[in-house]
Amino acid sequence: MIPHPQLQAADFTAEPSTDSLEQLSRPSLSYWQDAWIRLKQNTRAIISLYLIIGLALFTVLGPFLWTKDPSAQDLDQISQAPALPKTALLVSDYEPWMPPNAQGHPAEPAGYPDTLDAVTNFTTVGTPNTQAVRFTWSPVQDAGGYSIYRSESEPNGLQGLGLPLETLNAGNIVGFEDRLNLKSQTYFYSIIPTDGFDEFEVVTTLKVTPVQSITVSQALERGLIEASDAPGRSVSLAFHPFGTDYLGRDMLARLMQGARVSLFIGVVAPFIYVLFGVFYGGFAGYLGGKVDQFLMRFADFVVALPFLLFMILFKIGFGIGPGESGVLPMLVALILLLWPSTARLVRGQVLKIREQGYIEAARLLGGKPSYLIARHIIPNTMGVILVTLTFAVPSAIFTEAFLSFIGMGVAPPTPSWGSMCNEGVKTMLSHPHELFFPALFISITVLAFNLLGDGLTEALDSKMRSRE
Amino acid sequence: MLKYTFGRILSGLVTIWFIATATFLAMHAVPGDPLMNEKATTPEIRENLARKYGLDKPIAEQYVIYLGNMVQGDFGISFTQQNRKVNDIIQDHFPVSAALGILAITFAALGGILWGALTALYRNQLPDIIIMFLVILGISVPSFVFAALGQLLLVNINQWFNISFLPVAGWGTFSHMIVPSLVLGLGTMALLTRLMRSSMLEIVNEDFIRTARAKGLSPSRIFFQHQLRNAILPVVTVLGPQIAAITTGGFVVELVFAIPGLGRYFVQAVQQLDYTVIMGTTVFYGAFLVFMVILVDIIYGFIDPRVRLK
Amino acid sequence: MGTHKLLEVSNLSVEFETYGGVVKAVRGVDFGVDAGEVLAIVGESGCGKSVTVQSIMGIIPMPPGKITGGSAKLKGSEILGLDAQAANQFRGKEIGMIFQDPMTSLNPTMTIGAQIAETLKVHRGLSTKQATEIASELLIRTRIPEAQKRLHQYPFEFSGGMLQRAMIAQSLACSPSLLIADEPTTALDVTIQAQILDLLKELQSRDGMAIILITHDLAVVARTAQNVCVMYAGQIVEQGSVDEIFYKSAHPYTLGLKLAMPSNVSQQNKKLEPIPGSPPDLFSPPSGCGYAARCPHAMRICHKENPPLFSDPREPHHAARCWLQAPGAPKTEGLHQLHLIASHGE
Ligand SMILES: Nc1ncnc2c1ncn2[C@@H]1O[C@H](COP(=O)(O)OP(=O)(O)OP(=O)(O)O)[C@@H](O)[C@H]1O
Ligand code: SF4
Ligand SMILES: [Mg+2]
Repeated sequence: MIPHPQLQAADFTAEPSTDSLEQLSRPSLSYWQDAWIRLKQNTRAIISLYLIIGLALFTVLGPFLWTKDPSAQDLDQISQAPALPKTALLVSDYEPWMPPNAQGHPAEPAGYPDTLDAVTNFTTVGTPNTQAVRFTWSPVQDAGGYSIYRSESEPNGLQGLGLPLETLNAGNIVGFEDRLNLKSQTYFYSIIPTDGFDEFEVVTTLKVTPVQSITVSQALERGLIEASDAPGRSVSLAFHPFGTDYLGRDMLARLMQGARVSLFIGVVAPFIYVLFGVFYGGFAGYLGGKVDQFLMRFADFVVALPFLLFMILFKIGFGIGPGESGVLPMLVALILLLWPSTARLVRGQVLKIREQGYIEAARLLGGKPSYLIARHIIPNTMGVILVTLTFAVPSAIFTEAFLSFIGMGVAPPTPSWGSMCNEGVKTMLSHPHELFFPALFISITVLAFNLLGDGLTEALDSKMRSRE
Repeated sequence: MLKYTFGRILSGLVTIWFIATATFLAMHAVPGDPLMNEKATTPEIRENLARKYGLDKPIAEQYVIYLGNMVQGDFGISFTQQNRKVNDIIQDHFPVSAALGILAITFAALGGILWGALTALYRNQLPDIIIMFLVILGISVPSFVFAALGQLLLVNINQWFNISFLPVAGWGTFSHMIVPSLVLGLGTMALLTRLMRSSMLEIVNEDFIRTARAKGLSPSRIFFQHQLRNAILPVVTVLGPQIAAITTGGFVVELVFAIPGLGRYFVQAVQQLDYTVIMGTTVFYGAFLVFMVILVDIIYGFIDPRVRLK
Repeated sequence: MGTHKLLEVSNLSVEFETYGGVVKAVRGVDFGVDAGEVLAIVGESGCGKSVTVQSIMGIIPMPPGKITGGSAKLKGSEILGLDAQAANQFRGKEIGMIFQDPMTSLNPTMTIGAQIAETLKVHRGLSTKQATEIASELLIRTRIPEAQKRLHQYPFEFSGGMLQRAMIAQSLACSPSLLIADEPTTALDVTIQAQILDLLKELQSRDGMAIILITHDLAVVARTAQNVCVMYAGQIVEQGSVDEIFYKSAHPYTLGLKLAMPSNVSQQNKKLEPIPGSPPDLFSPPSGCGYAARCPHAMRICHKENPPLFSDPREPHHAARCWLQAPGAPKTEGLHQLHLIASHGE
């Protein structure tokens, strides 16, 4: 037994609570304030929000900051991987080169040799550059010719020699010039002596890294040098931070232009169809009865249509004339096919709100339907609509990308991220960056909108609002 | 249930009729002459071709003939490969697509249920965080990027180890199917994992789980008998639309991996405007997808007593 | 028989870690139940009734829930804080439980029969066939017509009242010595409510099982219970026999509840008076009496210090947590004065 504290008479003076009873409940925040506070606590959603703002700036302001023409071809730097600014060696215009002949060496061997020595003194002539790489070597005793190969990776003996460049059919020709699509990267050249018909199993390999070069007339044509500049100096080439595509177009500029197309479809289409769905569903739910049944039947019918097939059909039916980008048919098709899910959702919400009765009250006070929808139904369904809209963006972007990827979307030369992927996948094995960048942009955009949508769902979900 | 099934099939038929009509109209709305691409050099050849394809008749009559043939399952002859019937193309190549798709959906459904259950079990712990990170990636990366990456990876693996670990492209053996079906199922698996996770977490808070605990059931029994069983139901409901997603996703995967499935032929036909093939395959695909959705709904009805007994 | 009460709960405290802070849902609750006794726990919504009994059963979600202190002894052995395996020795076997909403408290995809049989299989190791036979007997005992057919039906094919009967059947499967009924009738129609209560009483008097009955409804208490605990803001503010609580209310909150009761026979011609205000915030419970903000008799001490539980040595089971019972406190009209020699509790 615990003795209770010693109490004084004063302790027993009446002292009713001075707090107003109302104050006992917590200050109530408005729906949106509360949601915003909770969204701010969700780091992933906030990062996504910044990402989306960043993407918007990239799309809208990007082209003003990075003014390269997205359709201009830089023929010096085709399929160039992302790199720092490059310089090129200015070289004289191409003049045909006569491969040297070995004096006194027979063109054909006297008989058929049993063995041949490997080629020796296999060296380059002059500075190997991207205009031409020239070689010479010492003739091989009894050789009737030479085969030359080029590979981008180091051969393993006779394995992996790469591209056969040339087969010379004379033992006394001891020079070769490679002008085939050269880039400023490391090549492995291999040479094998032959008896004029068959290769022998001896190989000599040389590692060569041609320097980036540009001829005087090319440089003049592109305005990179003055007429007085002499070969031998270096010239700054156009800078492509994200590299170039298979036609030498600047990837960064194309990504920006592609963003305009992809995001236009990705944002505008959902915006319109969600809006349409809101009104459709709002009216169906509001009017109720037979009209509602009929409207929802129709919505169900549209939902049942196989979406991508219809996108394709629509595209075919619409046809795309020369000079058209194909954005419009895609937009229209998206809108025509995707509104029902929003309509269903909004209708459900409206029915719920109707049951709560205050619409009845407003109607009794003489509100017109449009007024009721605008004043009562829409504000109350705004949360769901916002979430739907957020999730609609990634699915529209996916659809654009998918259709463009199979060649049914945006028509070249207009770039969209999807059509850039379509082009990039063809050269994926040799120049992965042409696929990587547009794919990255699609993924980041979709990711950001998905995470934001998740955050919004959580923030707006009234089930999770505690203390009520 | 029977009435429900019947109603669903009937509305499915209406949808298919609509698809067929829309296809017909789309084909006839195409600007230009359908025989433009043909080697219809002389007016006579042109006329013969037009007659062969029934293009000399008025549109309404063409439509009736088209519907009639469609009902009999006759889709006509290809424009570009004139010795091939569209039916043969479907018969030859759809099984390939179907094999790929079945493997992909199986893999996606099993994976989704497994990973989803795991994440719910380890909620907010490391396995959950890792899996959900991958899921977010899976949802955000387009299927063709997975296809391209999958192939790139295979090429590199084969190169590094200097062996043919798995074939990079083509069709024929089971080993050809593994990577493409994995790639094809990935997006769906991510989606199902997410759905399964949230469904599991919702069920955990249900009153009947509390009852099960108050009954003194073991945690594992509660997990399998009460939680998992109920959590799988929502996953089954989205399987129908997901089959559609996998079917269309197959177009891309077949393209990238050079698999001779119907999807690749469909895309080719669309690109070459091969009218009869487009019409035939579109209607075929449309019917397939519509009935898959219905089939899944009916199967769902058998699993969920609340639907079955109504 | 042993000297132990069937269930003895002392100083039970439970908290919830939530998004808004820590909710102190139960703050030092003591009570006991004898074999065969019906104990009612009454109180406003949110005062911690369900949390109290659910923590005894070990079925509050943890996290966010946490039992921060106290003990609960079933026939003398501790049952708080057991792991799942140990707890399952008494859950469903020694103590059965039924819940407020029978519609959601049964697994929607399992037949009623299977759910009842499951309990029997798990606790008594019966085969499916034996278990189903007993399940059918249980349905008959709980007055469910066409028991054989009903066994194979799913919860959605049952009405609310029938489902609650099925719930009761399920909780009785292993003949528990204690049944906890958490607002078993709140979700049901008035006529059905009476039937369910009658059923519970009948089963109780026949099997000699003890019941803890949680309810808002004092009329239900008067009809069924022998003893009553009145809870307010996570604490028991008054406890005693039904007569003591009804006719010798010693706590202003109990008085308030009685006045708020629509069907109180003795107050029939009086107007129903809801208690103004709302319970205190359990995020930061006041340091004084929890009821002070709403109490018409609040005094200076009430705002400063939480009153201990004053009890009457002549009626040792009757106790109230109110400073008005302290020696030297002013007498209040309408409030029963406990005859105090000493006090205990906090
Ligand atoms: N899972 C939970 N998470 C957070 N808080 C909880 C949780 N469960 C209960 N609470 C809190 O504990 C307090 C007591 O809840 P409890 O359910 O015991 O009330 P009750 O007396 O049973 O009310 P009712 O009559 O409405 O059933 C409430 O304030 C509630 O907010
Ligand atoms: S202790 Fe004070 S405030 Fe609390 S019930 Fe008693 S008189 Fe009212
Ligand atoms: Mg409760």
